[in-house]
Parts: sequence; C-alpha cells; structure tokens
Amino acid sequence: MRAFDYIPAKTVDEAVALLAEKGDQAKPLSGGTDLIVMVREGRRQLDLMVDVKDIPETNVLSYSQETGLHLGAAVPCYQIYADDEISAAYPGLADAAKIIGGTAIQGRASVGGNLCNASPAADTIPPLIVLEAVCVIAGPNGTRDVPAEQFCTGPGQTVLENGEFLVSFKIPAPKNNSSSYYLRFIPRNEMDIAVVGAGASVVLDTEKTSFVSARIGLAAVAPTPLFAEEASASLAGREVSDEAVNAAAEAARHIARPISDMRGTIEQRVHLVEVLTRRALNGAIHRVKES
Amino acid sequence: MPEYSVVGRRLPRVDALEKVTGAAKYGADVHPPGMLYGKIVRSEYPHAKILHIDTTEAELLPGVRAIITQADVESGRKVFASDKVLYSGEPIAAVAATDSDIADEAAGLIKIEYERLPVVQNVMEAIQPTAPRLHSDETKDGPSRRGIRNRLKQLSLDESEGSSEEIRTLETELETLEEDVYYNISAETHTEIGDVEKGFAESDIVVENTYTIPRVHQTYMEPHVSVASADSSGKVTVWASTQGPFAIRSGIAGTLGIPLGKINVIPTIMGGGFGGRFGVTMTHVPAVLLSQKTGRPVRVQVTRKEEFLDGRPAPGCVIKMKTGATKSGGILACQALAFWDSGAVSGASIGSTIRVRGVYKIPNLKVDAYGVYTNKSGTTAYRAPGAPQAIFAAESQLDEIARRIGMDPVEFRLKNMREEGDMIPGGSQEPVIGYKETLKAVADAAGWWNRDKSHNQGWGVAVGDWTNGCGPGGVYVSIHEDGSARIFHGSMDITGTDTAITQIVAEILTLPYERVTITRGDTDSAPYATGSGGSVVTFTMGNTAKLAAEDTRRRILELAAERLNTEIDNFELRDGKIFVNGADSPKSISLGELAAFSLNTRGGPIVGKGSFAQQSSTPALAAQIAKVEVDAETGRIKVLKLVSSQDVGFAINPMAVEGQIEGGTVQGYAWAIMEEMQYDQNGNVNPGLVDYRVPTSADLPTVESVIVEVPAPNGPFGAKGVGEPPITPTLATMSNAVVDAVGVRVNDLPIKPEKIVAALHNNGN
Repeated sequence: MRAFDYIPAKTVDEAVALLAEKGDQAKPLSGGTDLIVMVREGRRQLDLMVDVKDIPETNVLSYSQETGLHLGAAVPCYQIYADDEISAAYPGLADAAKIIGGTAIQGRASVGGNLCNASPAADTIPPLIVLEAVCVIAGPNGTRDVPAEQFCTGPGQTVLENGEFLVSFKIPAPKNNSSSYYLRFIPRNEMDIAVVGAGASVVLDTEKTSFVSARIGLAAVAPTPLFAEEASASLAGREVSDEAVNAAAEAARHIARPISDMRGTIEQRVHLVEVLTRRALNGAIHRVKES
Repeated sequence: MPEYSVVGRRLPRVDALEKVTGAAKYGADVHPPGMLYGKIVRSEYPHAKILHIDTTEAELLPGVRAIITQADVESGRKVFASDKVLYSGEPIAAVAATDSDIADEAAGLIKIEYERLPVVQNVMEAIQPTAPRLHSDETKDGPSRRGIRNRLKQLSLDESEGSSEEIRTLETELETLEEDVYYNISAETHTEIGDVEKGFAESDIVVENTYTIPRVHQTYMEPHVSVASADSSGKVTVWASTQGPFAIRSGIAGTLGIPLGKINVIPTIMGGGFGGRFGVTMTHVPAVLLSQKTGRPVRVQVTRKEEFLDGRPAPGCVIKMKTGATKSGGILACQALAFWDSGAVSGASIGSTIRVRGVYKIPNLKVDAYGVYTNKSGTTAYRAPGAPQAIFAAESQLDEIARRIGMDPVEFRLKNMREEGDMIPGGSQEPVIGYKETLKAVADAAGWWNRDKSHNQGWGVAVGDWTNGCGPGGVYVSIHEDGSARIFHGSMDITGTDTAITQIVAEILTLPYERVTITRGDTDSAPYATGSGGSVVTFTMGNTAKLAAEDTRRRILELAAERLNTEIDNFELRDGKIFVNGADSPKSISLGELAAFSLNTRGGPIVGKGSFAQQSSTPALAAQIAKVEVDAETGRIKVLKLVSSQDVGFAINPMAVEGQIEGGTVQGYAWAIMEEMQYDQNGNVNPGLVDYRVPTSADLPTVESVIVEVPAPNGPFGAKGVGEPPITPTLATMSNAVVDAVGVRVNDLPIKPEKIVAALHNNGN
C-alpha cells in the first residue's frame, strides 16, 4: 500500500477545504469498510484521507414523528437497527443495515459511505430511494440537497463535485398506514454482495385495502440503483391484491438492464427483479396490516 | 470390545489452549532479526510469450535488496517463467526489500513485455484440434480409436486367415473416424474389466449423462508463507507452514541442488492444508533464493488473491458416464470417460476416475481418463483427491436408476454393495469392511425409513469410499524421572493427530492423558515422518507411536525386573506403576521411582523407539443423507438436515473424529452448491473470498455425525483414516436431494440457484 496522509477534520468547513485543495487525490473517510480495502488492494490511489466521522453533523441521529429522521452520513449501520423507534419507523432501512457485510462490518460501515461508494449493488440505496431520502451535501459553495435516487451517476460515480462531501440524510416522517421492506438475493446468508436487491415502501388507505402510493427501488440491475417510477405509480389508487403487486413486479422487471458477471447472469437478475419486487411489496404490505 | 482408559475418549486437544488463546505461532509469526520481505512478480496474462523483463527501475528503488529471475536459478530447474507464461499469476520474478510496501512497489516497477497468445480455459475446447496448444502438438487417441489400434496390434500378431480382411476393415474405420483424437493431453489412464457393451445390451435400463465438476480451492485459513535464512556456510533454514516438512526439505534439495544435510525445515503450526500444503509450493524456493542472494532472512507470504491465482487447487473435470442395470436393481455395467482440467502442468487426480465403481459389485467396467492442459495454474490434492468428482457422477447415476426402476435408493445401494471377499472391480478382494453397516446407520439416524416432506422439500442419499494412505515414520518416547512421558516426532498435527498419538502412548503406558506430552521437532532433530495428508497420520504415526510406547514398556519391565529382582513375566504395568504378580508379598514400583533409579544405575534414561514403514489399510465408507428445501422462485437451497455416517474403524478420540466428519461434509456441501473458481480469457475472475463463495457459519447446516466402528486389522486399536472419506459423497447427496425436492437434476456443479431456476423453467414450471 502506498503511503498517504490522514487528517481527521473537526468541522464541515475544514473537511470541505481539505477536499477542495486535493481534488480527486483526496477522499472522505467514514467507516472505511470500502475505502480502506480499495486503497490497500491498489484499486484506488490517494494522497489524502479526510476523516469526517469526528464532525458533529455527520454523527447526528435524531428522529421525531413530526420531522422524520435526520441521519448523519457517518453513523454506523448498527446504530440504526439497534434503535427500536427508528427500526419501527423505517423497517426497510433497518432491513438493509442489518445485512450489509456481517456483524463486525455493521459496527463500522455507514449508510452514507454505502451511498457514496455508489455500488450498483449497494443494499441501503433502494431503501433510501423508497423512503424519499434527501442527501445533504456540503461543498465550497455551501450546502445543497439531492434526492437519493439522483445521487449515483454510474458505478462508483456520484453527483459530488470537487470539495463536496455527504453530510447527512433527511428522511420524511412515515405516513399513516405506511411501511417499507428491503430484501436481496445472495447465495449465502451473509458476507455477500447482492445479486439483486429490491426495496419497497407502501402507503395504504385507512381500511388498508388500497394503495395510496408506493415506491420501488432496485439494486444490482443497472449501472446505478434504480427508482422504478412507473411500477411504483401503477399501484397508486389500486386495490391491494396479488394482481396489482404482480403487475408492478412485472413493470419493475422491464426497467432492469443488468450485466452478467461472476455473481449472476442477466437472465437470473431479470427474473429475480420480479420475484424480489413482489416479495418486497408483499413484505411492506404485511407490515402495514400487522401494525 | 476391550476396555480402554485413554483411547476412545472425548479428550480435549493437546493444542487447545495455545490455539484458543492465540499463542500458537503460525508461519507469519516468524520474524528473525534483519528479515526482508519478498514479493513475487506474476504474469498478467494467461498465455503469452515473454519478450523482455526490465528490472532497472525497480532496482533503483530505495529499500530493494534483491531481484531475481530464472537467470538466478543456478540449478537450471524451473522456478520462474522465462520465455512463456501459461497462466495468469505464473511467477516471473521475485523481489526482496526492507518492508513489504517497498517490495510491492518494486514488483510493480518491473516491466515485462509480452506477446499475447490465444487462450484456452475449457477442457472440452482444449481437446479440440483448433485449440491453442500449451506444451506441444502431440495428440492422444480417444477410447474408440485406442480400441481399434489395440485390436489391430493383436491382429498383426495373428497369422490365421481372415485377419487380414479385418485389418483392412479396421484401417478404413480408423481413417473415417474423425473424432476421438484429443489435443493438449497431459496424462491418461485406462481400465477395462469384463465387457461393458455386453453389460449395457443386457441391461433393462441405461442412464447416460455428462457431469461437470468445477475447480475448487482448498481455502485453508492461512495463505502460504515461508521464511528462509541462508548462512555463509551454505546451510539453509526454512520456516514453513506445511503438511510435510521432510518433503519441503527434499523439494528444496532437488530444486536447488543443496545437500539434504544442509537444509533444516522448521515447521510452524499450520492454518489448514487439505492437501494444498504439500511439498514445495509458491513460497519456499523463492524465499531460499532471495535469502541466498541477500544473505539475510527473507519472508515470502502470499495474499489471498495470489492463493487463487497461483495456488494448486483441486481439478475440475468433465465426466461422461453411462450405467446399466436390470429392472430388479442389479448393476451390470458402468462406463466413464473423464477429462480432468490439470491446468498448465500435469498432475490432476485422473487416477481417481476409477472411483466411479464405488463400493458395488459391477461385472463390467470401463474407465478412460485424460488430464487436459488449460491456461490455469496447476492442481494438486484436495481431501480425497479426485474422489468427490468421480463419486458425484456415479452416485448421481445410481440415484437416477433407482428412481427409474422405482426402487428405494438406499435399498438399491444395499443390494449392490460389496461385502468381505467380493472382488473390487480392477482390484483385489474386499477385506473386512463396513459398507452396509455404515449406510444402514445413516438411514436409521436420519429417519430415512419413515421420511416425510412438504412441497419443494426432498431427501437425498449418497455414499463415498476412500482408503487411507500409509507412509514411513519414526517416534521416540522418553520417560521422565517423575514418571511422565514425552513423545518426540516430526509429523504435522492436522485436526487433532497429536492428540490421537498422545492418547495412544498414554494408553500403552497406562498413564493418565495429562502425564504424556508431545513435541514436534524440525527436520534436523526429528526422525523422518511421512507428510500429514491422505488420512495417514493416525494410522501411520499412531502405529509408530504405539510401537515406540510398546518398546518403552518393554524397557520399563526389563528395568523393573532388575530393580525388584524378579522375572520379567511376573510384571504388570498398570496405572503408571509396575506390580509384581502372584508374589507372596505384593510389590510395586512407580514409573517415576523406576526412571529415577534407572538414571543413577546401569539402566540409563528410559527411551523407546518406534519405526514403521507400511501396512495395508482398509477401505472406509462415508454415507450421507440430506433433506433440503428449494425456493422454486429463486433457486435457493436450504438444508434442513444433513446426517453423515462414517466407518472409522475405531475412534481414538470421538470428538476429533466428529470434527473431521463435520469438516469434510461441509466442504462437500460447499462444493456442491457454491464453490467454483471462475475463469475468462484473462484468467481467474473471482480471486477473493467475496466472490469465491465458501459458506460462512451462517450458511452451515448442523451436521449430525454418526460413528460406525468396523475395526481395521492393521490400524492402531483398529483405527482407519478419517479425514478424507466425509467429503466424497456430499456432492451427490446434495444433488440427489434437490432432484427429490423439485424434480430437476443439475449435473453441472455447483448447483447455483440460477441453474435450478433455468432447469425448472425448461421443465415447464
């Protein structure tokens, strides 16, 4: 591993200044479960790692039924699923946080890092998309907000400009009769990368018999995680039924444009999009009905 | 069965404390003063000519102490590729530097110019005339062409009339036979018993299929590492993590032309081997060469990625197989044609193809096996080398036959199994064996006879056989003056063999287990010991240790007779004391008193020795039953039950034996459903533990072990080798269970979820 500098930033401004100065030779470091591995394996060469996990804004974790969730980009996964209130409000996000890597990884890995790594297979991105998460980005020109589904632009590529870094997420408070669900397909039970991932959120009417709205997010079926917009829209106003769910799953299948690699084939991934979307929707519906 | 006090008991391992506390010293813990760090420079391409190697820039990097290539190998034996590379990851040069980052950087600065050559990775493509050739243009005849040629040879010796006409017919046939000539063949083996064509003709049912078994890595926990230190006198010391230090010594001697007496191999505790840590491998010779050149100790330690690129995994293979049987369930004929992917060097386990015969009475058998060169690293042993592959094909076929004739698969196997005195096809007579007992034991334990299942659930059964190896070994036993005993030997501990040896010696000397300790020497200090593989250790070293303990006991009784002034026949060694039998006044002397007395008299220290060469071993069966549930939508397999029985002869330590049964079964399960080294035109595409999938603890079914004991006549206390058998049936066990669950048979391993989904789709589901 080539030597590089390490600076723990104390404030957002300090981090922005350091990142802006070094350009693409610098990267923000949070849990490090992707970045350190990449640098050690020589897949990425850096002059500087700016540790952002000492900055108060990246460590915030606050939830209220009125304002929703404010989640710092450096908050490790386990803090999310260990919080009963947050897990109950955003079960789809907790589903993902619980399955990233393995138990040890979850003590370190952050949702912010998972998003910034911009893997098409990232587990927390479909839940962020279906929960309408907004990414708060700090940069030389102040802060800006970007919806989660617009954050990734390609494998390993994001909207972050020179000097910018992800500070936190704002996730709206859950609506009445709503819930969410995330699942992925892996051949193993842990320590694996999704062959396909699917997240869903649903809002049902007061009788819990019709959809008010729904959102479907997909992983590992395109260069970036996808928001399945048409499939999601198809459910609004429809009666909760196998037909409606199956039709949405079928629609989700149509936007998948995966590749074949050592983790899975195109045919398998396209097939799994439908299966997993159906299971994610049914999982979310089941949670609403149970609540 | 006789009553024993130490063997046969579930005792904690002698090395338990150092392992669980982390005190155990592995290869990478060796750090002699002044040590340098070695790094191997590897080929980027699977097949290419090397045009030029430029080390200039790397040599200038501060901290670099030596760079070596094939030009530095005085013996001329191939250590590095110099003109051509045959696989991605093949060693081309090595660097020694003052730290590992500098060594890595220097390795990256070595410039190698290549001319790329066409690549072949698939055995069935490699045997075609259009395939790129790795070694030469030599071709080999396939089974039919060989048959015709052999007949022609016979006929040419036959002077009777009519033969000339047959010769002409056959010659024409040979000319028109277009296929059946194979390219890139590294080795071949052929066996024929009876007449398979006749056997198939008489069969009511014949099943025929092609089975593809992937190349898998042994995935031992500890990557290869060695430290070498060459001194000015020419003496070479090598710390090696190995299954056999004596083989490392002879391997280095042979490769570098150093006399045996000038090499000392100090074995470190081994982080798993499974056959992949035998003999001189990736690190030993480069470490010695770099140390000779720099005059300093050098450690060469590979990464997990290098393990996948340049390790010596188990060969994959393609087996075309055909089995014929009668409606009433009698096997009549069995034929296999196998192509083993031996990678760039000869050495795949092609001889194991004969294991398609299993443990059954098969009157007609024909086996043709070829090793095929491809642009991959070479292969080596992996737990029962070659058997899981061959047995997967054979036990899949038997399952299919049993289903088609409507016979219970366990009953079908029991009906055809050999018993004592039956001829092994292509071999000798069966000795005392426990095939049927072992299969019945697993069926009873698993609840096979009244098995139930829900939708998409299924049960599978398979058996696999293996016979432990045997090799030479020597052991000393010494009695201390406090009456405790110490064992000195030179064999590597794998999965509790030191413990088994200790139990055996304690049993013979009637000492408590805690009063016997064991010490492993290096090759300078320990008597020769065969390598720890092939399930040999408890059989070979157990027998050796038993001889040494018996020799010690003889010496103890001799000295006691002298001390107590009685005939040696009147003595008995019991509970670590010597008692005089039948005397008017009972007399006894403790082992400690005797040892102390002996030190101060003419007796001297009490030392016994055991030296052992060969004894014939006895086949052992592993039988397994799995119950699985398949998610028909995703193809995911969940194991609900996995029961594994094994004839171990006699379990010296049942706990350690169960560990072996569980470990082997789990490795077989992983091979069946997830493990696979994948290759494309650039080489291995999954060289790491994220994408080379081995099960984690979250994936493992609870393996229920069932110990069956049919004693081996020559085993210590009847013990058979236990390490290898349990991996042999699992590939077929899993596949057969999937068939029972969802009705599709995946003959191309691993049974990945997408293959089940595709097969179900093709079945119209």
